[in-house]
Amino acid sequence: MSDPMVFTILLSVLLVLLAMGMWVALSLTLMAFVALVFFANPPAGQVLATTLWGHSHSWPLAALPLFILMGEILLRSRLSEDMFSGLAPWLGRVPGRLLHVNILGCAIFAAVSGSSAATAATIGRMSVPELTKRGYPEKLILGTLAGSATLGLLIPPSIILIVYGVATEQSIARLFVAGVLPGLMLVGLFIGYLAFKAILNPSSIPALEGAYSLGEKLRASRRLIPVLLLISGVIGSIYSGVASPTDAAALGVVLSAVLAMSTGGFGMADFKDALLSATRTSCMIAFILMGAAFLSISMGFTGIPRNLAAWIGGFELSPYALLAALTVFFVILGCFLDGISVVVLTTSIILPMVEAAGIDPLWFGIYLVLVVEMSQITPPVGFNLFVIQGLTGINILRVATAAMPFFFLLLLGALLITVFPSIVTVLPNAMGN
Amino acid sequence: MRLLLDRLYQIAGGIAAVSILGICLVVSAQVVLNILARLGGPGLSFTIPSYADFAGYMLSTASFMALAYTLRNGSHIRVNLFVQKLSDRPKWIVELVVLALGGAITGYATWYAVALMVESIEYGDMSTGIIAIPLWMPQTAMVAGLGLLTIALIDTLIEALIARAPVLIDSGSE
Repeated sequence: MSDPMVFTILLSVLLVLLAMGMWVALSLTLMAFVALVFFANPPAGQVLATTLWGHSHSWPLAALPLFILMGEILLRSRLSEDMFSGLAPWLGRVPGRLLHVNILGCAIFAAVSGSSAATAATIGRMSVPELTKRGYPEKLILGTLAGSATLGLLIPPSIILIVYGVATEQSIARLFVAGVLPGLMLVGLFIGYLAFKAILNPSSIPALEGAYSLGEKLRASRRLIPVLLLISGVIGSIYSGVASPTDAAALGVVLSAVLAMSTGGFGMADFKDALLSATRTSCMIAFILMGAAFLSISMGFTGIPRNLAAWIGGFELSPYALLAALTVFFVILGCFLDGISVVVLTTSIILPMVEAAGIDPLWFGIYLVLVVEMSQITPPVGFNLFVIQGLTGINILRVATAAMPFFFLLLLGALLITVFPSIVTVLPNAMGN
Repeated sequence: MRLLLDRLYQIAGGIAAVSILGICLVVSAQVVLNILARLGGPGLSFTIPSYADFAGYMLSTASFMALAYTLRNGSHIRVNLFVQKLSDRPKWIVELVVLALGGAITGYATWYAVALMVESIEYGDMSTGIIAIPLWMPQTAMVAGLGLLTIALIDTLIEALIARAPVLIDSGSE
């Protein structure tokens, strides 16, 4: 049977399983099993067992449950309540005023939680009522929230970058560092867009309420400062090479637990809650990674990714054309799959093609995550849109319309890192090794 | 029986949670030792032997032992966009197929995991670090976890058969 034929059959098997509601990890395993049994020779059972074992106990992967736990602890601390009161006094004079709380709050929270849905839910629960009460336009409240929550996937410590790093055997430390500038660039784009809208239409933004002295501002945000220190400490220790991501994650857990306990409102029951929740999430992701590893290996035995790469290579597409085609493909996948699943599917099938086209896998990781971010707010089916609909009770179509400009800003971000790849590579290259 | 199984899933989940705490403890202890070495020079340089290996084995223990608990909690991610649109009866039938297929593939994986563990015992495979431990010891968690996941899938299948209606829940988080 010809390769494109086999590939089509396998892909259909996967899509049918997914559509039936088979768990993603098991769908990947079953697809890989079919590939091995029908289209390759090695003993499927042995390959499955050795892969499950071999991909379950790596040192870099140990960062995963720890960073998730750190996020879960901070999620249950007073941090989310303090975010609004801590940021608001600083933003009164910026065009767009308190709407920037959504963007900055999401960026800070995203950095610690690494999940865009959790970020949207946590920040939104507190900022949407506050902003609505003050008379800010609904469209901008929803848009900034939906757009900024996706930042969680890129700003380190990002769970999805750990997944990409483990699946492609890239250095997680370098991936984290590579994500910093694109993440900041997106924050800048969002802030710039909001300020531009506010200047264009000043009457839509409510008037300034009260002025604060510097001392008052600092007092209002004193609880945010330790969190900012925690994030910069984690990123800084990884960047300087003092600590591996796993080391930094363990320390992050200890420090965030101390922080949460000392600010009050966080007791043993909350800790247990956070730990069990982290156990479930990390198990879910580890299971998907094992399924994806089995898929990668069995696809390797069938030779399909290699031949697919050669086949695509035969068209002599420019890397740009290939990226454009892949982007469309990812956005479609993102309509019904979560980000992590899109990433593992990509790495097991598409990565050889990408490398054959001469694209740097480190750069591609950041690009992939950015596009996955975009797919989370693809109107009208992105994952974050559902979260915000659930949170506010506002119809998903209205949420999607509000999020549309941010979808295009993310697209612009993807274009920028394609045209100027050094936005991604300059920091990791400066790291050496 | 119901109570016993639920208790079993929970205990396994508890073991997983303790393993994650264990990773955190071992790694932070080593970080503290690293800081000590930086401050005090070579005289104060200590390494917990094979700490990376142990962190890895605790990770695999956590991942495998939590499988069934995570499943019963509805936290394993799946696409429910399409099945949600079905009415109860076709939804029930699709669920039965999914549970049976899932049980079959995890049962198959458990079988070969046992084979791998038996092989490790027969050949006396050891881990490669400074402290070499027999590989079958951490592999026990893989066998137990996969076995428990198979049981949980069959358990849920039987539940669905008895209820004659869809029973799967999704926790709704990411």
